[in-house]
Amino acid sequence: MAVSGFEGFEKRLELHFFGDIDEDDNMLGLRLLEFESLEQVLFAVQCTVVSAVGNPFFDAYVLSESSLFVYPTKIIIKTCGTTQLLKSIPPLIHFANNLGLHLQTCRYTRGNFIFPKAQPFPHTSFKEEVIYIEQNIPINICYRKASVMPSKLPAHSWHVFTATCLPPLEFPHDDAAFTVEVCMTELNRHLARQFFMKSGDGKTGDIGGKEMTELTGIDTINPGAFICDFAFDPCGYSMNGIDGDRYSTIHVTPEDGFSYASFECIGSVYDDPDDIVVTLKKAVQVFMPETVSVSTTGCSREVWTKVAHAFEPLGLKCRSFAMDEFPAAGTIVFQTFTAARRK
Amino acid sequence: MGSFLSSFFGGASYSASEDSSSSSESSRVSTFHSAPRWQLHFNSVKETPKLMVIDFSASWCGPCKFMEPALNDMAARFTDVEFVKLDVDELPDVAQEFGVQAMPTFVLLKNGKEVDRVVGAQKNELEKKVDKHKC
Repeated sequence: MAVSGFEGFEKRLELHFFGDIDEDDNMLGLRLLEFESLEQVLFAVQCTVVSAVGNPFFDAYVLSESSLFVYPTKIIIKTCGTTQLLKSIPPLIHFANNLGLHLQTCRYTRGNFIFPKAQPFPHTSFKEEVIYIEQNIPINICYRKASVMPSKLPAHSWHVFTATCLPPLEFPHDDAAFTVEVCMTELNRHLARQFFMKSGDGKTGDIGGKEMTELTGIDTINPGAFICDFAFDPCGYSMNGIDGDRYSTIHVTPEDGFSYASFECIGSVYDDPDDIVVTLKKAVQVFMPETVSVSTTGCSREVWTKVAHAFEPLGLKCRSFAMDEFPAAGTIVFQTFTAARRK
Repeated sequence: MGSFLSSFFGGASYSASEDSSSSSESSRVSTFHSAPRWQLHFNSVKETPKLMVIDFSASWCGPCKFMEPALNDMAARFTDVEFVKLDVDELPDVAQEFGVQAMPTFVLLKNGKEVDRVVGAQKNELEKKVDKHKC
């Protein structure tokens, strides 16, 4: 393991808003946020937009350090490196308020940093992060919980903080969607090399990204999705997949010593549970990592039990399982997998 | 709002991209606000082999705003190419006719026929295709 390097592990923030969404505005809600306002938010976080696309349901942005998704009533930002993700909270709340929208739920999750000492305030510790969030969300968001979900691997644990103003019995029942967040470390070296730009190539950004998407088979994970991709110089890759109202997103830090890849997607309780398993297997196969952690938020028991067996054909054995309930988010399950040959 | 924001961020002066609004007066990107006007123009351009790039976007579309400076820049550099911006809310039938499902969508046409398209704010890909198809 390297002494220092790029931090692939992301911090993820999901904010839900409520308010009067005017029929006349085509129910655009947060999508009416001015792009200049989003740029201000991203400036506070210390990242920029490198590619973007919008469909009838949401806007998807590829950032210099991961992704941003803007739906009418929710925003999801995922950033890696040494970004100060939580600093997006005050300006986002401010800009949303201007649109007549108010914060309803906040969910913050992340794995373990490979280089925790390199993280700036307020990401110096989970405690600091929780204090910062609590100080920056309205006091009516009063149902709060912070917890670190462990695994048997010291390098892998799952940090969760959720807060909502919805009383426990009023959690939205129409939220049939669940989220799956996959973190992979110690990527197969040969496969990781595909995410380095070929020298002298001159193929930058979205063109280089498209090549990597096709070369690595990432475009086969969900063939129906439209992909917005980007290749970084000299290495690194990001993509957002857009399929109706669902996104999927992949981010890769391919350097040996601190290699990392993440895959995140949305599933629905109405899907066939086998579908999500097939998708996760395809995603992991792109990288063949030594260690995988999977966190599911809000999915059924059937889905997370299937996930436990999903990677067995890939030689990955489930090593730990942790489950907990969080305000508004519901059940969060955290499982870790390592190569079966390891004891 | 500008001064409020600069104090909000503790005095850090970050000005929003000025390219999009201030350069629109001198921008080489033309626009049409009604279907009849567009049709008239399109019919006249159909006869020429000049490359035309249509940017299908919307006033509220964030990804479209992100792409604006790059598009204006390309329009300034590729003087032998015509760049047109159409608002999908103003010309929904035209957008549907061209099968626009995501935004921004750039359709490249020659002699009134589509030769290529780019979906999403893909700066490099659009530039590569414009360069490839221009006369």
